[in-house]
Amino acid sequence: MNTGALILLAIAPGTALLTGFLTVVLLVWAFWPKNGLIAVLNRARMNSQRVLLEDALKFLYDCEYKREACGLHSIAGNLHVSSDTATKLLDRLRTMGLISLDEQNFHLTDTGRSYALRIIRVHRIWERYLADETGIGQMEWHGEADRREHMMSPEAADALAAQMGNPVFDPHGDPIPTAEGQMPDHKGQPLSTLQEGSIARIIHIEDEPHTIYEQLAALGLYPGMQVYVLDVTDGTITFAADGEECVLTAMFASAITVEPFEGNAPVTARHPTLASLEPGEEAEVVGISPNCRGQQRRRLMDMGIVPGTRVKAEFRSASGDPVGYRILGTTIGIRRKQAEQVFIKKLETTAHEQSA
Amino acid sequence: MEKKTQNNHEDILSLANKLRWDQGGAFHDTVIESIYAEAARIARKTVQQTGTPNAYNLDLRIDRILTSRWLGFPIMFLMLALVFWITVSGANYPSGLLAGLLIDTLHPILKNGATSIGMPWWLSGVLVDGAYLSMAWVIAVMLPPMAIFFPLFTLLEDLGYLPRVAFNMDNLFRKAGAHGKQALTMSMGFGCNAAGVIAARVIDSPRERLIAIITNNFSLCNGRWPTQILIATIFIGGAAPAYLAGVVSAGAVVGIAVLGIFLSLVVSWGLSKSVLRGEASAFSLELPPYRPPQILQTLYTSLIDRTIFVLWRAIVFALPAGIVIWLVANVRIGDLSLAEHFIHWVDPVAMFFGLNGVIFLAYIIAIPANEIVIPTVLMLTVLSTGMAGVGSGTGVMFELDSIAGTENILRSGGWTLLTGVNLMLFSLLHNPCSTTIYTIYKETNSLKWTLVSTILPIVMGLIICFFTTQLWRIVVG
Amino acid sequence: MSNQHNCENCPVHHRENLIRLGIAMDRVDYVVALAGNPNTGKSTVFNNLTGLRQHTGNWPGKTVARAEGGYSWGEKRYKVVDLPGTYSLLSTSTDEEVARDFILFGRPDVTVIVADATRLERNLNLALQILEITDRAVLCLNLMDEARRNNLEIDARNLSKELGIPVIPAAARQREGMPELIAAIEEVASGAYVCKPRRVKSQSAKLNHAISTLAGKLAADFPGLPNLNWVALRLLEGDQSIIEAVRSGDLGRLSSGVLSTSA
Repeated sequence: MNTGALILLAIAPGTALLTGFLTVVLLVWAFWPKNGLIAVLNRARMNSQRVLLEDALKFLYDCEYKREACGLHSIAGNLHVSSDTATKLLDRLRTMGLISLDEQNFHLTDTGRSYALRIIRVHRIWERYLADETGIGQMEWHGEADRREHMMSPEAADALAAQMGNPVFDPHGDPIPTAEGQMPDHKGQPLSTLQEGSIARIIHIEDEPHTIYEQLAALGLYPGMQVYVLDVTDGTITFAADGEECVLTAMFASAITVEPFEGNAPVTARHPTLASLEPGEEAEVVGISPNCRGQQRRRLMDMGIVPGTRVKAEFRSASGDPVGYRILGTTIGIRRKQAEQVFIKKLETTAHEQSA
Repeated sequence: MEKKTQNNHEDILSLANKLRWDQGGAFHDTVIESIYAEAARIARKTVQQTGTPNAYNLDLRIDRILTSRWLGFPIMFLMLALVFWITVSGANYPSGLLAGLLIDTLHPILKNGATSIGMPWWLSGVLVDGAYLSMAWVIAVMLPPMAIFFPLFTLLEDLGYLPRVAFNMDNLFRKAGAHGKQALTMSMGFGCNAAGVIAARVIDSPRERLIAIITNNFSLCNGRWPTQILIATIFIGGAAPAYLAGVVSAGAVVGIAVLGIFLSLVVSWGLSKSVLRGEASAFSLELPPYRPPQILQTLYTSLIDRTIFVLWRAIVFALPAGIVIWLVANVRIGDLSLAEHFIHWVDPVAMFFGLNGVIFLAYIIAIPANEIVIPTVLMLTVLSTGMAGVGSGTGVMFELDSIAGTENILRSGGWTLLTGVNLMLFSLLHNPCSTTIYTIYKETNSLKWTLVSTILPIVMGLIICFFTTQLWRIVVG
Repeated sequence: MSNQHNCENCPVHHRENLIRLGIAMDRVDYVVALAGNPNTGKSTVFNNLTGLRQHTGNWPGKTVARAEGGYSWGEKRYKVVDLPGTYSLLSTSTDEEVARDFILFGRPDVTVIVADATRLERNLNLALQILEITDRAVLCLNLMDEARRNNLEIDARNLSKELGIPVIPAAARQREGMPELIAAIEEVASGAYVCKPRRVKSQSAKLNHAISTLAGKLAADFPGLPNLNWVALRLLEGDQSIIEAVRSGDLGRLSSGVLSTSA
C-alpha cells in the first residue's frame, strides 16, 4: 500500500476543499493568457534594454519618413523615459553605429535604417494579421504589435505575410516595408488642410497617441472611407465620412491623412445596412464598409455581395440571429455582425415580384 | 546568364511591389466587381425565367418551418433524438450477435486451437486473450452503432437538413466565440469523437475549427453511452425508490450528456477568450436546396468513408492495448501482478478524487476504446479482490449478462454511490480515446493542440470529481 | 514554341508538376480537372465519368482531399481529378489554393467547370476566373432538371459563344448529357475544338495600366505564358505561390516545359 498517499484520505473534507479551491485558483492565475503569472514572467524576461533601443530606432525612422527634425526631448517624450535615460540610450545607439548626430538632431545610419525597417515591418504585418484574421478589437492592435515586434524573427514575419498574401499596407493605411527594406514615398495630406467642398479618401489614420486614435476609432473612421468636407471654420472641420457627419478640431484632423479622390459624386447620406432588411424585403448592395477586412470581406464578395447585386431577406434562424438572404439564386446565412457592414439601397417589393 | 535571369525575376517582383503601393489597398474589390459585372451581363443574355421557380418556392416553405422560432428547435431535437434512439436500439441485436460469434464462440475455439498446437500458455494468453479478445470486443461494440449512426447522419446531411441545424444553432455558438457548424461536429461527436473531429473540416476558419476539435470530446460518444447507462442503472437507479429507478437513471444519463454540451460551450468560450482569442469570425453559410438523397450510395459511402475508416483506426490501437492489458494482469513481481501493484499504490490518491485504483488503471490501459473500459474494470476488480469463480481467467476481459452480477462485483470492489457518480463524470471528462487523439493529431498537425485536447478534459474531470467527492463527504458525511 | 499548336494529339498537361502534385501518371493520355462551386453536383459528375463512388456531400468544402479516377474512351485514357468545390479562386483559403495550383501548375488538358444551371450568374463568377488561368475548358451545365422544374430556360449555344468554350447541358443524376460531355472533353483535349476563352477586363483604368506594365515585363522573361494578365494580377495581389514561381523561374517551365518533356 502506498502509505504516503494514505495521508490524503485523512484530510478533513473542509480542508481538502479549501486546498483544492486554492490550487485551482493558482492554476488559473498561472496559466491566464494575458495577465497570468507565466505570461507576466515571460514578458519580464524579455530584454527591456533591447526593446528601448528598437523603439528609439522606430521613432527616428518615423521622423525621417515624415521629414521632421528629431531631437533629444522628442525622443525622450515618445519613449516615456527621462532625458537622462534617453541620452544614455542614444549614446549606445551611436557606439553601435546605428545613428549619427548633427546640430542637435539625430539621424539614422544605413544600418540603423534597415534595422528600424525590420522592426516596422514586423509591427505592421502583425497589425494587419490582427485586423484581418483574428477579429481582435482595433484598440488592441497597436499595443499587441508593439509587444510582438520585438519577439518575432524576420523569417516568421515573412511566413505570416506570405500566408496573408503579402499585404502592402497595415490596417491604419501605413505602408509595410518589404523584406528587402523598400518603402514607398510618403503620400497624401492631412485632413486639416482640405478646403470646403473637396472630396478625398482617407488613406491613413495615425495610431499614436493612443487617446486621439481612440476618439477617431470611436467616430468610426477607417482608411478607405470617402470624406466630403462640408464646412471649415477656424479650428474645426466638418465633413461627411461615407455619409456620416463628423466634426473634428484641427489637432484631431491632422492625425488623418487623405488623398484627393477622383470620381463619383460625394456620399452625403448614410446608407442603411443589410441588417436593417426585414424578411420579405429586397435591396440592392451599395458597398461593403471599409471596416470589414481581409478574409471576411473576401468571403462576403465571393458570396456575391458586390455593388449592384440584389439581395432579399428570406427568413430568420430559429434563434433570431443569422438571417437567410437570397443572393444570386442561393440562400446564404449571414450573421448580424457581418450584415451591419454591408450598405444597401432598399427596393420597393411589388406584389408581382413577391410571387415570382 | 543564370544570374541575369535571376535578377530579371527579382526586378519583376520589385516592380510589382511598387505598383502595389501605387494601387492602394482596395483593388481586389475592383477585380471581383468586374468579374461579377461580366457574369451578370452574360447571364442576362442567356438565362430566361419563363414561369415561377416552383422548386425554390417549396424549399422556402420548408425552410420557414424548419427555422421558425417555435418549431425550429423542437424539430431539431426530435430529429437528433430519433437518430440516437434508432442507433442505440438498433445496435443491440447485431452487437449481441457479433459478441456471441467473436467472443463466446470464436474465442474458446482459438484458445483450444492454440493449446492443441502446443502453444505455450503465455503466448496464447498474449495473442488470444490479449490482442484477439480486445480487437473482437472493439468490433462487436463499435461496428453496429456506427454502421447505423453514420448512414443516418449522412442521410440528414445529403437531404440538406444539417446546414439548417447549423443555421439555427449559430447564435448560441457565436456567443461562445465559435462557429455554428460546431453544432454539427458536436452531434457527430455523439456518434464518435474521431468522426466529429474529422467533420470539423467543414469549418473553414482555422481558429474556430480548432475550438470545435478541442471541445469535441465533451460530446458523450457511442462508446461511453453503455457505461453511463450501466452505472446509472446500478448505482443511481439503485438508490432511488424502485418505481422511479428507470426514470431517475435515464435522467442521470441525459444529465451527463447535457453537462457535456454545457461544458463544451463553456470551454469554447474560454478558449476564444484566451489562447484562441478573437471574436467569432466571418460566418457565411450556404443553405443548399433540398435534394432527395441517393440512399444506396449514401449507405455505401458512409460505411466506407466513416465506419470502416474509424473502426480500422480503433482496431489498430486495440491490438497492442489488448496485449498490454493481458500482460499487466499476468506479469508478476513478487506475489502480485503489475496491475495489483499499481492499483494498491495508486488507490489512496484515486480515492481522494472519489474514484479507485482500478478505475485509474482501466482508463489508462483501455485507452484504445471507451467500449472496453467496463470489461477491463470488471477483470481488474476480480483480480485485485481475489474473487473466485467469476470471470474468464487472469487478464481476460469479460462482461456479465446480469446487471445484478455486475453490481455484485463492483460493490465487493468497494464501489459506492459516490464512486458511481464520479465514474459517470470521469467517463465524460477524461482524455479522448487513442483513435481520437491520433485523429486530432492528423487533423491539426500540431503536437501542442493534441496535448491540449488530451490533457484539458482529464484536468477538468479530476477537478470536478474532487469537488464532488469532498462536498459529498461534508454533506453526506 | 510554335509547333505546340500544330501537334493535335499532344497532351498539354505538365507531367512533372502533376507528379509533384501527387498524381500517379502511369498510363495516362489526358488529364481532366473537375472544378466548380460547392453544391453543383460536381462529385456526381465525377462518379458518372469514373464509375467510382465518391461521397456527394451537400456541403461547401466537402472534398477536402482530392479524389482521382479515370476512364477510357476512343483508345485514350483519361485521368479525372476532382478539385475542391470553391466559390472563387481569388481568396486565400486552402481549398482555393489546391484548386488553383492544380489548374495553374498541373495544366490539365481539359478543365471541366461544373455549373449549377439554376444559378448560372453565381457560377459564372468562378467559371470566368478559371478561364483567366486556362484556355482549355468545358462548361458542364449541370442540374438542368432542376432548372426545368424552376421554369428556367438557358441558351447554351449563346453561352458557349460568350464564354468561348463548349457548353454541355446535363443532369448528372439522371446521367443526362454525360456522353456529350465525354465527347466535348475529347474534342478540347485533342485540340479539335480550339477554345477562345472570354477574359474579363477590369473596370479600373489605373489597375489595367499596372497589369499591362507588369504583363509586358513578364512576357519578356517568360515567353509563351498563356495567362500573362492573370499572373500579373496575382503578383499585384501578393500571391505567395506565384511570387515563388516567378522567383525560382518555375513559371517559365509552365510555358516551355511541355515541349521538352513530351518531345
